[in-house]
Amino acid sequence: MTAFILRRLGVLGVILFGSSFILYNIAAISGDPTADLRLSTDPNRDFLIASLTRELQLDVPPPLRYFLWLKGVLGIFVGNPNFGMGRDGSAVVDSLALALPVTLRLVAAATLLAAILGIMIGIVTALRQYSRFDYSMTFIAFLLFSLPVFWVAVLLKEYLAISFNNFLREPQIPMRWIIGIGLISGLFWASVIGGSRKTFWTAFAVAFAASSSLVAIFGATGWLLNPSLGPIVVLLLSIGIAFGVTQLSVGLINKAALRASLTMAGLSVVAYYPVNWVFDNYPGSLSIFLMACVLITTAVFIGLAFSKIDRAPIVRTTIITAILSASLVIVDKYMQTWKPYMQTDAINYRPVPTVGQRNDLLDSSDFWISSLDVITHLFLPTLALTLIGFAGYIRFARGTLLEVLNQDYIRTARAKGLSERTVIMRHAFRNTMIPMATILVADFAGVVGGAFITESVFAWSGMGTLALQGIRSQDLNLLMGVFFITATMAVLANFVADLLYSALDPRIRVGSGA
Amino acid sequence: MKFTRSAKFALATAASAALAFTLLTPAQAATRSTVILHETNPITGLNCGLSATNSTTCSAVSYLQGAGFNYYNNKKELVKNTVFGSYKIVKNTATDFRTQWTVNPGRVWSDGTPITGEDLLLSHILSSDAYSKAAGLGDPTDKKTPPAFNGLGYSGVYANNIVGDPVLSADKMTVTLQFKKKIANWDLYGPGPSPVHTLVLMAEGKKALGTVAENEAARDRFVKAFRDKDTALLKKMGDIWSKDYTITTVNKDTNPLLLVGNGGFLIDNAVAKTSVTLKKNPKYNSGPALSGSVDTVVFKFIGDGTAAAQALANGELDVYAGQATADGVAKLKAIKNVNVVGKDEVAYEHWDLHYDTVPDEAPYTGLFSVKDGARSKALRQAFLLGIPRNEIMEKLIAPINGVTEPIRSTWLAPGSAAYDKLIAANGSAFYSRGTQESRNKSALALVQKFYPDVLKNPLKVRVLVPGNNPRRAAEFALAKANLAKIGFDLVGDVRTDWPSKLGNSDYDVYFFAWVASSVTQRQSAEVFDTDGGNNITGYSNKAVDAIIDTLDSPLPEPQLIAKYIQIERLTNADAVTIGVFIHPGVVAVNKDLKNVKPGPLSPTIVWNYWEWSY
Amino acid sequence: MARKSKASVESTEVLSGENAIQNKEIEGLSQGQIVRKRFFRHRAAVISLVTLIVIVIMAFTALDFRLFGIWRVPGWWRWTPEDLPELRFGDCPNDTVGCPTISFMPKFLGGHGIGLGRHPFGQDDIGRDFFALVMKGTQRSISVMVIIGSIGATLGVIVGSIAGFYRGRIDAILMRFVDFMITIPVIIIGSVIGYRYGNLGATFLALLLGLFAWTGLSRLVRGEFLSLREREFVDAARVAGATNKRIIFKHILPNAVGVIIVSVTLLLSGAILLETALSYIGFGVVPPDVSLGLLISQYQDSFTTRPWLFWYPGLFIISIALSINFIGDGLRDAFDPRQRRRISKKERQDSATAKKLAQAND
Repeated sequence: MTAFILRRLGVLGVILFGSSFILYNIAAISGDPTADLRLSTDPNRDFLIASLTRELQLDVPPPLRYFLWLKGVLGIFVGNPNFGMGRDGSAVVDSLALALPVTLRLVAAATLLAAILGIMIGIVTALRQYSRFDYSMTFIAFLLFSLPVFWVAVLLKEYLAISFNNFLREPQIPMRWIIGIGLISGLFWASVIGGSRKTFWTAFAVAFAASSSLVAIFGATGWLLNPSLGPIVVLLLSIGIAFGVTQLSVGLINKAALRASLTMAGLSVVAYYPVNWVFDNYPGSLSIFLMACVLITTAVFIGLAFSKIDRAPIVRTTIITAILSASLVIVDKYMQTWKPYMQTDAINYRPVPTVGQRNDLLDSSDFWISSLDVITHLFLPTLALTLIGFAGYIRFARGTLLEVLNQDYIRTARAKGLSERTVIMRHAFRNTMIPMATILVADFAGVVGGAFITESVFAWSGMGTLALQGIRSQDLNLLMGVFFITATMAVLANFVADLLYSALDPRIRVGSGA
Repeated sequence: MKFTRSAKFALATAASAALAFTLLTPAQAATRSTVILHETNPITGLNCGLSATNSTTCSAVSYLQGAGFNYYNNKKELVKNTVFGSYKIVKNTATDFRTQWTVNPGRVWSDGTPITGEDLLLSHILSSDAYSKAAGLGDPTDKKTPPAFNGLGYSGVYANNIVGDPVLSADKMTVTLQFKKKIANWDLYGPGPSPVHTLVLMAEGKKALGTVAENEAARDRFVKAFRDKDTALLKKMGDIWSKDYTITTVNKDTNPLLLVGNGGFLIDNAVAKTSVTLKKNPKYNSGPALSGSVDTVVFKFIGDGTAAAQALANGELDVYAGQATADGVAKLKAIKNVNVVGKDEVAYEHWDLHYDTVPDEAPYTGLFSVKDGARSKALRQAFLLGIPRNEIMEKLIAPINGVTEPIRSTWLAPGSAAYDKLIAANGSAFYSRGTQESRNKSALALVQKFYPDVLKNPLKVRVLVPGNNPRRAAEFALAKANLAKIGFDLVGDVRTDWPSKLGNSDYDVYFFAWVASSVTQRQSAEVFDTDGGNNITGYSNKAVDAIIDTLDSPLPEPQLIAKYIQIERLTNADAVTIGVFIHPGVVAVNKDLKNVKPGPLSPTIVWNYWEWSY
Repeated sequence: MARKSKASVESTEVLSGENAIQNKEIEGLSQGQIVRKRFFRHRAAVISLVTLIVIVIMAFTALDFRLFGIWRVPGWWRWTPEDLPELRFGDCPNDTVGCPTISFMPKFLGGHGIGLGRHPFGQDDIGRDFFALVMKGTQRSISVMVIIGSIGATLGVIVGSIAGFYRGRIDAILMRFVDFMITIPVIIIGSVIGYRYGNLGATFLALLLGLFAWTGLSRLVRGEFLSLREREFVDAARVAGATNKRIIFKHILPNAVGVIIVSVTLLLSGAILLETALSYIGFGVVPPDVSLGLLISQYQDSFTTRPWLFWYPGLFIISIALSINFIGDGLRDAFDPRQRRRISKKERQDSATAKKLAQAND
């Protein structure tokens, strides 16, 4: 196996060499860095052109110049890579180091969200194949997929940022909104739940009443200006989560699992005040991480304590419940931060931004406020990327699950008399995940270099912006730097996807002969 | 699925129980003291004199950080900054031309060090090829090695005419420059102040601000090195100057010596490719006093125009500046609390006809070649007559800024008495009188003199069409339609790499815009001079060359206009080029922010930042 | 073969009522007929197919075009994108110019009557008929899409199936070639090509992009093949003496067709969006050439002031992309050998009654 991996990595090196050579030369002959200067009327124009030629070594023919570039890059093996200088006078390495985390943050959030949402909806559409829900989700997914991202961005900014911020000045929710939101949510849940006409309308009525009264309460209490959940809501939601997770993972039949996760849910509420105290006095990612460790350890112990046989699934269920209900506490903390955040001078009651990756005027000493600021800036771009990206996941998840559901082993499982939940969650769902995992990996790598337009319309300075800048200003070193990162990520991601595929699906033999 | 329903119920009841029914105090706007400006391109460094960092954004930021002897206002006039200092001609003969620059006493850098004439000497090192060579700092024109101060100022008017080194007066407040002949626009070729002591300190490895005494001592070391041409120290300073300022991130760890200036605002922090934040300079006394209500200026970099307009609508920007489209302007006007201010760019659109072979290109033998004598001249005139300039204005420019008159000179921009005088006599009337229909008629007559059946067999004209520009595509479509009426069949070659094709003999016609970034006597001379750097038509007229040669020495305005008239008469008669419009720009400003008056020349929007107020 | 064996297995099972209905339906039909029949039952797919055909015919016959560059075939629309008619002026809302003349409001309801008028989609800045421009843009975008899609699909399927089927050295070489292509991001190559060769026209751009667009599909197809070739029916076919070619085309490919079609349709609609994206950043189709993507990116500022300039091309992009996806959906379902359709209540009742009747007869 090690030999196989090493050999593959070696081949990848050769590939990167070949493609970088080709791209370098294509890019070099396809543009003239001095083009702008030719339009200048400066008296010392010729001097300017000459000094640019000197700086960029334009008098060296591109194939040779490539090797000058390569020499710098190969420094990576002696720990001193040199991607050259960009035309803006800064080292390309520095630009990349700044841009990569920005893009990763955006892409990771969006890809994950798109995958989770898409797979969830895809599974429901597959289970309700050819229902009204299936058709309307398919329609919406395709519609969103067909929209150009810059257009989605313009609309999101117009309605979710500008109009919403204006609305926040006097957050009175009008009646037609209350009814409208109620109707949409009613229709959505009713069609997800499906079933007979009676169930449909009951579900509709319940969801309608619940959401519209919730919205009305939000409006009446000014919740949008000072939101919070409070320990009681956290408790109720946690209990709901405990039931839901247990039902989905092992079934409510399994009393041990239910008891363990209910205990965990209860614990997270008991810890509400102490945890908030820690949040206030020791803010930072480290304390969150440590508390998460404590939480998971506790969850493992509780799971073990409640179970006697078949322990693994119960512990798993408890952990999932714990993580979900603990995140409610964090959400609540952010909700409490909302009001002070809006009151800062830099935000001034306009919390949803349309551009940038954070507000540079904001005092960054408060962990909660500055991380909330990062979240608000992530909101629109992530939403745009998610809306556009999740159509693919819906379709793949739906298609794969339909395929799996028609396999013989599903038939066998049903014939054994297993419950529908077990058949779907244990047998079908897991096998659906195999191709999805590989798609996810490849997709992620693809988006890193492909979020050009999203980054540009939201003024994020990530890899896409760098690539665009490289192309526009004929900055070869910069373009090649971006290429090097994205290309390496792409081939590595595909490699990982291959390994994943063979790891997840024992029938596939990878590496034989390769 | 039961859980979802019950959860929703639970959520609804719990929310109503748990939440106190207290209404919040309504949102109130804090008194604003921050101006957030929009720039399309990010700043790439703090020293704009390098080829890597030279950009309009950089000039704007450094304009706030540093004040000099003069600046351009929004009417393209060079205004003297009398608060900082004064300048004058002290000797004015044909072979000895001297200018004198005096810093007013009491001006200080932001670190408290008084500004003197010694701070003006660095300019010389940055502009004079001769000094760079003599001091062992390298030949700026060398193809391999860059000079120690790797700037863009070399090989220009200053370098070609300066005699010796600048002379410092006894009180050290005045510097005198000597040129070998009279210099037109001599006030553009004066020295600018630089905090040389910070360069010296950094060259010596310092990382913190010095005391005034230390700073003055450091400056003395520089002056000594300057006089003695001390290569060692100067080279170190050059390294700092060329390399250390190319930073785009500024924070607490940044060497404060890099941030010393004498402008109204100083860089407080900067996030690479995102923004630059400047705070009021408490020691500022080198320019007009600040209005007082603005204490922070932020440059925010947003490349996408639509995104920037929406950021303005969302209150994330106070000033938006961008390329204008008719719809974009209408959209900006629809934003509440925003004033839309029109603005001219420095670029002017024009059509050029190929006249003769351009050096280093294949021989030009096309339709408009001067070698064909009277025939090609008639064709060129007919072609220029047939460009529907009024229609282009009405359909493409008027919806943006309301301007319907095409420009009639490529030497002066409209809007001044001089311009009116110029166009009355420069021969442009030939292309502007009557209606387009009557012009078409006379154009057709000109063509038919040589090609009687031209309407049946139209003449093919090869046009280089700049790709990627909808306005130019529309401009081309309009021109093609109208020129078809007088027997020209325009064949467009759309190229995105068009700048490198200018002057290529494969084309008969080019249309694009020249960018004039300063106002000088020579103006468009490079376009028409036989050896001009911007002469892409192969135009050559000895009479024109002779007049252009006289533009190098300073002339009073009436004489200058008379020369322009002479030149344009000749070029209009030769029918080589015709102007169409000044590129329109748009600036939109938060209504609460007063006194933003954008101008066409750098530093465009920020030129009067001290007047801004809320 | 796979399908037949499947069906026979099912028939030996104890049949549920649903399977009985299903099997009766495909009895005695050829594969093509089954696919066609299933496809036409997918209502959304059929509507989409009709829409797409209408759009294609409309766009490609509306304007004059030159056959082999010589004969001019007149189009049915009165304007061409080159014409410069008078700009409609004065009677448009909000002081705009060139608003559309299309009207859906009948006269008796106070409208202008149902009709197209001179410029149904309005006019652009200089008076060109926007319907003609949209039609030309649709032609361009559809050609770009078809070229990218067909090159991408062909290469992807061929490379993927060969690699997945033969494995070993061939697989390794082909997949390393795929890795090579994947390292060059399509959008960067598109930008570079567009910047340099945008003037060679949309077709050339599409050809080149097509050469880079197949990698994802090929990996997917390879994955399917790797998995399917280990399945029992392939072994069965091999034991029965089927040739490799036959196994690939008759046994494995039909089983992989679902995944292929989903990703080809995504590829097609992705192609139209890629063109839009490239045009937006200025490296795609270059003015004065026209494409739908170019039109909407050019007029994205117009959506509050002159919305028709934005909405009509946008409408066509969305309609085309939506139709293709739904057609793909229908095809996927139609090709899937194990696909079961939802049995309507009526059919279930019918079958139940039939069963009861049969039992009663016994």
